[in-house]
Amino acid sequence: MADDGAARQLDKEILSPKPGIQSPAEGGGDFQPRIVGFLCNWCSYAGADLAGVTRLKMPPSMVAIRVMCSSRVDPLFVLKAFLAGADGVLVAGCHPGDCHYQTGNYYTRRRFALTLKVLEELGLEANRVRLSWVSASEGGRFAEVVTEFTETIRKAGPNPAKTEVFL
Amino acid sequence: MHNARGTTHEAYCVEREALSMKQFQVPRPPDDALRDMLASLMDKGKVGGVFALAQTGENSYSYALITDKKLLDHIVPTLPLMPANAGKMVSRLTMLEPVKTPIAVIMRPCELRALFELVKLEQARLDNLLFISYTCGGVLEMKTAKDGLQLKLEEYWKQVKTGGVSEDMRDSCRVCENFVPTGADITLTLVGNDNGKQTTVQVNSEKGEEFLAGLSYELTEAGPELEALDSMRKKRAEQKPDVFGQFAAEELGMAGLTALFGRCIGCHACGRACPVCYCSSCHFEAAENEFDPSTLETELTNRGALRLPTGTLYYQIGRLFHVSISCVGCGMCSDVCPVDIPVASLFAKLAGSVQGMFGYVSGRDAEEKIPTSTFEMEELEEIGA
Amino acid sequence: MTGATIQAKNGVNGAVSAVLKSLKDSGCVDAVLVPTRVKSGETFVYLLIRNPKMLDSCAPLPPVMPVQGARALQSLTRHGKVEQTVLCVMRPCEVRASIELAKRRQVDLENVLFMSLDCPGALRTRDYVNDPEALDKRYQGILNNWEGDGLRPTCETCVHFSCEDVPVDLHVGLVGTKEEEAVIIGVSKRGEELLDKAGIECSEDVSAWQVEVEKARDKKAGNRSKVVSELKDKAAGMDNLGLLFADCINCHNCMRVCPICYCRQCFFDSSDQVRLRAEDYFAKAQARGGIRFPGDMMQFHLGRIYHMGLSCVGCGACEDGCPMDVPVSQVFAFAGDEVQKTFDYVPGRSTDEPIPTLTYEEDELHEYEDA
Ligand code: SF4
Ligand code: SF4
Ligand code: SF4
Ligand code: SF4
Ligand code: SF4
Ligand code: FES
Repeated sequence: MADDGAARQLDKEILSPKPGIQSPAEGGGDFQPRIVGFLCNWCSYAGADLAGVTRLKMPPSMVAIRVMCSSRVDPLFVLKAFLAGADGVLVAGCHPGDCHYQTGNYYTRRRFALTLKVLEELGLEANRVRLSWVSASEGGRFAEVVTEFTETIRKAGPNPAKTEVFL
Repeated sequence: MHNARGTTHEAYCVEREALSMKQFQVPRPPDDALRDMLASLMDKGKVGGVFALAQTGENSYSYALITDKKLLDHIVPTLPLMPANAGKMVSRLTMLEPVKTPIAVIMRPCELRALFELVKLEQARLDNLLFISYTCGGVLEMKTAKDGLQLKLEEYWKQVKTGGVSEDMRDSCRVCENFVPTGADITLTLVGNDNGKQTTVQVNSEKGEEFLAGLSYELTEAGPELEALDSMRKKRAEQKPDVFGQFAAEELGMAGLTALFGRCIGCHACGRACPVCYCSSCHFEAAENEFDPSTLETELTNRGALRLPTGTLYYQIGRLFHVSISCVGCGMCSDVCPVDIPVASLFAKLAGSVQGMFGYVSGRDAEEKIPTSTFEMEELEEIGA
Repeated sequence: MTGATIQAKNGVNGAVSAVLKSLKDSGCVDAVLVPTRVKSGETFVYLLIRNPKMLDSCAPLPPVMPVQGARALQSLTRHGKVEQTVLCVMRPCEVRASIELAKRRQVDLENVLFMSLDCPGALRTRDYVNDPEALDKRYQGILNNWEGDGLRPTCETCVHFSCEDVPVDLHVGLVGTKEEEAVIIGVSKRGEELLDKAGIECSEDVSAWQVEVEKARDKKAGNRSKVVSELKDKAAGMDNLGLLFADCINCHNCMRVCPICYCRQCFFDSSDQVRLRAEDYFAKAQARGGIRFPGDMMQFHLGRIYHMGLSCVGCGACEDGCPMDVPVSQVFAFAGDEVQKTFDYVPGRSTDEPIPTLTYEEDELHEYEDA
């Protein structure tokens, strides 16, 4: 997957330590969740943009990665981010029925169900991954999703995969 | 869920339908009966070759495509060993083009199911193949071939006769409930049969009947013996806590998984032996998954140390993403693992859950679509929030 | 040669890990690649360690070699040299495989340093993971007496168990040293400097150890010629060779765990080899009455000898990774020996020696030409 722009960006964004954001393990005090968001270009990315320009309040916890359609998100993208130590992974796309490519997000939904199931069965924290539908006009909803998800993750604490060396 | 053929009970009914009411008996052990049948098929020019497990040396076995009738002496189609998944092998044979000369293919139910999955994945074709299978008592670990096989066979066949479970079987077979082939043209009912003496053959399809027409068999109307099948199904269900128990979600998690795969040497033998891991170039062996020097620096800074080669869990969990929807629970992966990780038990357990979510049983039906390659508009509402 | 005695009251691993810590503290080593026991205790993995605390639990000489160290180093440097100075602690055969991989441009040796230890051999990984406690004990016995049961057959015949002909920077001598003692030696100039910077003074004479190494080598060389001559009879001719590989299920795992077999897409797994037209499979079957699936088993093994026999370091990884216990590495070490002798080549001896088939001399090998 990594000769693909999204994946390269993933490596860079997630793996590089950001100045100012430190995990408690590094003695950084308060836990600031870091979430990777895969946003479809036509709906959710536009929604995020809208939330930004209308200056809606939301935690600065998400690194956005733009994909052309939510169905471009290979479950392995989610896994890679998760194992690299992302505290949460969000996949967001157009509402069912509204996909720019007609049916992409229906496939996304099935694949995401599979992804969740595997994580659940393996006892990995499935609450760290989330699928949400956000349209281009739903700036408010986007802010809500990010805020809510960040809270969930804050409660869950840092992803243990972040410091695991035997994986 | 939405999908009509969801429950185990329904799956079970499909299997019962798969065994027809037409049958005949031969007063010979199954392998002999098959050799005779295949020899007549070849004599009459109905098939040009036979694909079956063959003995290739004193203690060695391999699948083989046989075109010379004389070599049929070497086939051992019901010997409980699986050196490779035959579904994967037939995919090699038929990948580029369908076979033109009809051949008889003898394989176990899970191998047939693997083949059907491969057909859906466009890796194999079924044209001109006559499928012969049997109600399957399971296979022994491959290493048994050179380690007391004869002794273990005695015990094995005793269990098959009474619908029991033999200790020496692969773990995946101990819990497999899909031991009645679906999609075979001809099925030998080994389970519940006294296989030392006689063979009962069910003819399940018109194709099967056509092939056998003109041979010396007389078909009678009689249903399969279900009692032993039921007993075996029950006994196998009882094995589940023992085989699957260690993989309860609360036992796994990051700690449990790093412990389970701590001994993994990253050889990927499990994937290469797996019939439904079909890619000629595997994602997990791609250059893109190796660290470049700068990523490495970041990793070292973040973690303080790093296991090399990297990506053990990425491979294992990633492979679960890729194959759990099609895994047929054949046990090849565990059998080839050089450090005895019970991979197949883990994969079979997850396959059960993942496929169950869609009411799917991998390879049960060659026409059914793989759930992730299709969708329904109204479903899984609980997932997108 | 001179060295320094190090105390090994807590075993070899403790002693070496202390040395590693002082090397790390001195700042001349940035990270250490070293085997470490996993948390469950049942095996060892290679860890690249930067956090000095983690060096406490490292195991420089584990009883097994689950992953060939050269593969670990390859995964680290395949895409370019490391920026940090990395010290690799490995068995001698792993160092030698790394050198071979460097010649094949799969490993970048820049900024890489090697430390090896006198290696008594390794136990089979499969045996170990199924009973680590008992095998730990057995291995301790082997370390004390420099012999014992259960070593992998290929290790019994290995003559490169010390640092002669192995281009390491540092070496830990164990053969015949006093109980609870080992010697550390700066083999290369870099190695000497490292020890110097870490404040380890190397002025002791180590000739007593060298004598012991010679003795041990003679013994292994004896084993080797015995096994080789036995194999020569056993492996002569296609039929006999076929018998040696009779149990092979053609899974190709030996190739995948071999450090030298580095190709991402193995020729013997390529579509050309395994995906023929059905008609072609048929034609092949008809020529002999039948063919095996998977096929071409002997072609795979012989072909592999052609591809990498010159570089085979006899590490035994292939045999360890074989699910059917085929004596692959014994055959390969034997076949490798023969081809290596032809060119007077010792794989992994030096980075300066080119792989014989990648170079030539104008005036040579006339005995192979028809006169
Ligand atoms: S994952 Fe294992 S059990 Fe499942 S189909 Fe593949 S080899 Fe068979
Ligand atoms: S693990 Fe995935 S990418 Fe690799 S061979 Fe299997 S299905 Fe293909
Ligand atoms: S076969 Fe076993 S050791 Fe090899 S990759 Fe699979 S689980 Fe790991
Ligand atoms: S062929 Fe076997 S013994 Fe030789 S280098 Fe490869 S793994 Fe080691
Ligand atoms: S690992 Fe063993 S069984 Fe597999 S191909 Fe090599 S020799 Fe044959
Ligand atoms: S384009 Fe938005 S989900 Fe397909």
